[in-house]
Amino acid sequence: MTSSNAVVDVHGLEKTYGKANERQYQALKGLNFQVAAGEFVGIMGASGSGKTTLLNMLSTLDVPTKGDVIVNGHDVTKMRGNQLADFRAQEVGFIFQDFNLLESLTAEENIGLPLALKGTSSKIMDQAIHEVADTLSIADLLQKYPSELSGGQKQRVAAARAIVHHPSILMGDEPTGALDSTSARELLDLLTTINQEQHMSVLLVTHDPFSASFCQRILFIKDGLIGSEIRRGDQDRSAFYQQILNELGTFNE
Amino acid sequence: MLGKLALAGIKNRRRDYLVLLAGLTMPAAIFYMFANLTTNKAFVKANGVVGQSMLIFGFGAVLLILITIVYIMYANSFLLSMRQHDYGLFMMLGAKKRRIGQLVFLETLILGTVATAIGIVLGLLMSRFLVGFLLNALGLHLAHLESFYLPAIIATAVLYVGLFILASLFNLVKLTRTTVLKLLHTDEQANQPQVKPVRQMIAGIVGILLLAAGYWALANIKMLQMAAIPFAIVTITLGTYLLFRATLLTIIRWLRQTKWAKKHLNGFLMGQLNFRVYNYTRMLTIVSLLFAMALGAITVGSGYHRQLPMMADSLGSYTIAIHDKTAKEQQLIGKLNVVNQATYTQKRQGKTVFYNAAEFKQHPYEFNEGTMTPKYVKKTAAQMKSTDLNSLDFLNLAVLGQNNLYAPKMLNAAKFSRQAGKTVSVTTIRVKNIDKDRATLKKLNQLEMARFPHASELTVGNYQSYELMLAFFGGLEFMGYFLGIAFLAMLASCLMFKILSGAPGDKRRYRMLYKVGVRHSLMRNGIAKEIGIFFMIPGIMGVIDVLFGLQMFKPLMPKPMSPYLGIGSTFAIFIGLYAIYYLITLALYWQIVLPQAPATVDHK
Ligand SMILES: Nc1ncnc2c1ncn2[C@@H]1O[C@H](COP(=O)(O)OP(=O)(O)OP(=O)(O)O)[C@@H](O)[C@H]1O
Ligand SMILES: [Mg+2]
Repeated sequence: MTSSNAVVDVHGLEKTYGKANERQYQALKGLNFQVAAGEFVGIMGASGSGKTTLLNMLSTLDVPTKGDVIVNGHDVTKMRGNQLADFRAQEVGFIFQDFNLLESLTAEENIGLPLALKGTSSKIMDQAIHEVADTLSIADLLQKYPSELSGGQKQRVAAARAIVHHPSILMGDEPTGALDSTSARELLDLLTTINQEQHMSVLLVTHDPFSASFCQRILFIKDGLIGSEIRRGDQDRSAFYQQILNELGTFNE
Repeated sequence: MLGKLALAGIKNRRRDYLVLLAGLTMPAAIFYMFANLTTNKAFVKANGVVGQSMLIFGFGAVLLILITIVYIMYANSFLLSMRQHDYGLFMMLGAKKRRIGQLVFLETLILGTVATAIGIVLGLLMSRFLVGFLLNALGLHLAHLESFYLPAIIATAVLYVGLFILASLFNLVKLTRTTVLKLLHTDEQANQPQVKPVRQMIAGIVGILLLAAGYWALANIKMLQMAAIPFAIVTITLGTYLLFRATLLTIIRWLRQTKWAKKHLNGFLMGQLNFRVYNYTRMLTIVSLLFAMALGAITVGSGYHRQLPMMADSLGSYTIAIHDKTAKEQQLIGKLNVVNQATYTQKRQGKTVFYNAAEFKQHPYEFNEGTMTPKYVKKTAAQMKSTDLNSLDFLNLAVLGQNNLYAPKMLNAAKFSRQAGKTVSVTTIRVKNIDKDRATLKKLNQLEMARFPHASELTVGNYQSYELMLAFFGGLEFMGYFLGIAFLAMLASCLMFKILSGAPGDKRRYRMLYKVGVRHSLMRNGIAKEIGIFFMIPGIMGVIDVLFGLQMFKPLMPKPMSPYLGIGSTFAIFIGLYAIYYLITLALYWQIVLPQAPATVDHK
């Protein structure tokens, strides 16, 4: 894979927590990987292996200690202040484990937020909101407040907000973590649909093999490095699921 | 163990506690100053604060106590909002409610007692320096003003510690009554009040009618007498509340539908307001009334300050009269801003004082014939002889024993020169503005008094009248300023705490916005707008209240004086102070709420 069609290109990424004079902990020790445009990639690893840390670097919520992170052609590590905020608003769609919805806004207003930040005209905004709402079957929930929604519904609203502005990559940190199995499955199906129909790249952090089986490729992180990588290829999902379980078995030894 | 945990929780939020402590010391300090002024008998007596003035003091005290109660309520809710999550967590981990209750009670009480103690010390210092400064700035002198007064200290301590015990009990009940789940998730509960258009409309109309009734009562205080004030307080309070309740939410809902709300953070701002304004209605009502009272008190105080010279000017024909002026006095006169000056010669013989008609022909005497506005009329010697000879007020300068005046008599130049008697020259001076020349006038008056201890007692020029009036009204004027500033400090702090108690919840929301990619500047602006709106609503309402309420003082300030005269600068200063409070609140809010961007590491 060349880096020219890569949406994400990570090179020699290191992250050390703690200041120089404090106790330090190196969470990432020099990661290299790429995500191609339109790819659905999973990231797995034991608790504390650095998955969230990695995602925070990619989404610019935190800064790497060393290395390059290039997302859709932008060198994220060189950005400052407003550039970072704008980058997050325009290039990245993010689904959080705890939904991250604003309870003072209706579902519709929550979904429209990234567009409002861009200054999109209200007509185009309405159109875009209703389009994603149809895709995610939440059209009848638009006027409700988050407190009036179930967990699964909240996560679908969050997903709608993450993709409404057509970011170059959709990231999720355990987005199914707070959902029951039915809702989790619905969300994963939706992510697959979005990935296939809109050709949006998806990067999914999970420790759950079932969720991971929806991906095309899985990276395993161990002790701050990519330990191994498996591809789904032409297998069906249950076969891939089995392969993940096997891999985890050997990986965790 | 639990105690240790609680202490650790407090340590982690040192800054928030400092804000709270600072905020709580202030009302105690203000109350001490007030109690010191009103309960100090020697001071009250020495300044002739009797009858009606005492009523104003009492009224002020009641208001101050009421504000204090409201204030402590809001400060307390700020404290609770900081702590409930921690305490909820402790309970979830199995801590007994009773134990938590004790902790909450102790925490509130200790905080309150410390705040009261610091507040009293601060009040002592402020009484010593601030009050003196205020008096100086106003050019007033109040006798027997001391900063340390034990009864005032006791009164403040009893009231505040008592209130804090109540607040502690309230917190105890509140925390032990709420379920653990609710404590853990208080920030996340959104209440979306229903809007019922017909009801809202009726409430709005009734609100406006009540406001109108209140304003009408104040304007007709002459007819309604004292009943006007309680009536107006009740109607204006209810009216404001209903009006806010009916309109604010409707306006926000309407704005939310517009295209404007779909730009940048506007939608979020409207969501925030929608989410809060209903809960804030009561607070906004109270604050708008306090605002009106504070602004009203200062406006009336400064009104007197501006208008006393006018009142004094309307009393006599000259500002000050000098007998046989010395070189030193001449030098002082040179410093005055003189509008009219004339010197006449007296000859005192037996029980009569003689004047030279020729001098009056040369320098006609200017009589003040206006009753309320000064109106100066020049009179010839002949006119004076026929009608006004007895009212030549400077004739009074020549005293023959106690309460016994010389009889004035006008002679022509020839007769006057032949007349025997003691010769005295009297110079009458009228200045443009008594207040501006007050320092020089004071020196002149002292020189006169030293030279003519008896005669000067009757030298009632406008300057002397002005000093007398200042001594009489000064206490009221000072009280106006003092109460105004005290109310402003309290009301703005009420607003501040109510707003700050929303900060923990907002911290989470702004963190979410940060993650979604909202620029820092946009968040800052959003917060500035939101808090600005909460400061503006009661501000605007308060200004309207004052504009109507000043009608009440019309009977006390006859034309050409008017309670509305020159209020622009008073309003500007007051609003400036209010704006400072806004900026402080905003800075604190930014500090608490805005997410910190990760420390940038230099790459190479
Ligand atoms: N702010 C921080 N300061 C210091 N160390 C941190 C910080 N955040 C994470 N770490 C450490 O970095 C390592 C990686 O953490 P990270 O959150 O990325 O793990 P994770 O793979 O997401 O785990 P999980 O599956 O449990 O969410 C952990 O050992 C953690 O203790
Ligand atoms: Mg994690």
